[in-house]
Amino acid sequence: MSKKRHVIVGGGTAGLNAITTIREYDKGDSEIILVADEWPYSRMVLPYYLGQSISESHVFTATAPRLAQLGVQFVRSEGQTGTAGPLGPDFVRRTASGIDTKNNLLQLDDGSSIKYDNLLIATGSSPTRPPIPGANGDNIYSQWTIDDSRGVLQHINPGQEVAMIGAGFISFTILNSVLSHGVKLHIIEIMPQVLPRMIDKEGAEIVEKLLRERGVKIHTGVSVKEIQDVGSQKKLVMDGTDDLIVDLVIMGTGIKPNLDWLDGSGIEIDQGIIVDNHLRSNIPNVYAAGDVAQGQELITGTKEVHAIEPTAVQHGRVVGANMTGRDIAYNGSLLMNILDVQDLDVASFGTWNVPEAEVSVAYNANNNTYRKLVWDDDRIIGGIILGPARGIWTTNDIGMLKGLVQSQVKLGPWKKYLQENLWDIKRPFVANHVTSSLLSVTTLDHPTIPAREISATTTDNESSDKEGDVVD
Amino acid sequence: MSKVLKIIPDNCTGCMRCEVACSYMQTGVYQPSKSVIRVSPFERHTSYSPYTCFQCEEAWCLSACPVEAITISPVGAKVVIENQCVGCKLCTIACPYGTIFYDVDTHKAFKCDLCGGSPACADACPTAAIQWVDEKVKDWQGDFAAERGKVHVISLSSV
Repeated sequence: MSKKRHVIVGGGTAGLNAITTIREYDKGDSEIILVADEWPYSRMVLPYYLGQSISESHVFTATAPRLAQLGVQFVRSEGQTGTAGPLGPDFVRRTASGIDTKNNLLQLDDGSSIKYDNLLIATGSSPTRPPIPGANGDNIYSQWTIDDSRGVLQHINPGQEVAMIGAGFISFTILNSVLSHGVKLHIIEIMPQVLPRMIDKEGAEIVEKLLRERGVKIHTGVSVKEIQDVGSQKKLVMDGTDDLIVDLVIMGTGIKPNLDWLDGSGIEIDQGIIVDNHLRSNIPNVYAAGDVAQGQELITGTKEVHAIEPTAVQHGRVVGANMTGRDIAYNGSLLMNILDVQDLDVASFGTWNVPEAEVSVAYNANNNTYRKLVWDDDRIIGGIILGPARGIWTTNDIGMLKGLVQSQVKLGPWKKYLQENLWDIKRPFVANHVTSSLLSVTTLDHPTIPAREISATTTDNESSDKEGDVVD
Repeated sequence: MSKVLKIIPDNCTGCMRCEVACSYMQTGVYQPSKSVIRVSPFERHTSYSPYTCFQCEEAWCLSACPVEAITISPVGAKVVIENQCVGCKLCTIACPYGTIFYDVDTHKAFKCDLCGGSPACADACPTAAIQWVDEKVKDWQGDFAAERGKVHVISLSSV
């Protein structure tokens, strides 16, 4: 009897967590084929490569030996030579082009197909660029792939004028790295504030003030109409402010899930692939995880796309377990983000942006500290914390705020206390037994095992004759 | 069952020796701000309790790490592998207990590693408020803090 075959499309955080979790449960008793158009690496780590605090090799999350240890095979096809890289010559950049769900076939861009028993779609997102002339010209980089980081590193030099178009989370993850190169930075944002989807106006004002003090030019509420080449430089033709001449342009103008290739597949898609609490699509043996999945949200219970690393991790783990036949229900993902902006911690959790909700805020201008709690009755459903990274209680309270939002503990009379004492999150946290409610929770049905301790340990008696299963 | 740091808040006098011992063991300096066990006052500084990582089963910090820089030590501590950590802080928002920290000087995450199996805080505690014992980890402070809150915080703030 042949082993069950799991085909994983996408080697990002969700895909790799799924692979590891499958092996955690089945110890190698299945075939895993990874179809990926990039080598597995961690996008979250690229900013540190860009800031040159780590080497390029540190970025890769799974080397060839590691994937071999996990018993993962790659797609090979006739005449293809693998791209030299950390995964070795076996790895072929392959893009999935469609799914035949009736015959359980994943179609690839070279016309071949792979049969699957279970399919995981974990194809992540791609950066988008504004529809303006010149947006795709030379020396304009998104900050998404390792090639983008390499490009910026090649062209960035001290003293240059650099423009970051878009002031969202992605742009801000590389802000410290870009500034570490000694450039003059312009941040351009079409909305009236920086980080419009991560923090509120009050928090953004603190961030903007801090950056201005560090010499960053912030242009909010304006847009770029066109990007022109002027010698070796770029001219940004602006709407709402003076035009800018810069040496390098970095685009952080949003991302969108990679779903186009699923047109006509019959898989139900809204903002992402609609999945149930087992990360299963409307096709029972087709799963989705990470940025492409529209799954249960923790607080509201509605289905949302959370294109964030922590959700990709949890989706990957839950889906991996379920693909091996376990019954692990996911209780939902919590929106969360953290940034270090020049040694200022900026974090937000949950549904912090509910216009009609009751909120409590506290602000200390002396040390750029700001807090906002968002209430539903006596539960905290979202919040924002800004504070100096050097302040030991900043990190403590960031974690405890997460615990309060995640556990949805009812604070009763402590609500009033917390409203009057926003700097004292710890006492309400401890006194309301948040710890108790959290200690009993595990995502899988057992304590977490470090990924590095997981491998395909069963001996593979069958030769993995997958070439024979490839249908042309 | 592996050993855990058991906290008995009623025994704590707020002497802060655990913080001093912890910071010395962890970083070589006597500096409570580098300690990964934190003593907090209750009842307007008339009672105290230490608080540190529970070494929880879910290990939120570990699974959140994008570079596998957190692992589990032989004594069951979730530990940061310093030369793997890039300092992205994802662990600090994943941990719902607020017990993994970020060092702005080293740009690395840091947390309780149970001192490799001989926790300095428990050794230093003169009143056995911190004990290194075979027991199942639990919410050591919850009842204590709720009780103290009932007497002082809640009654005062509801006036």
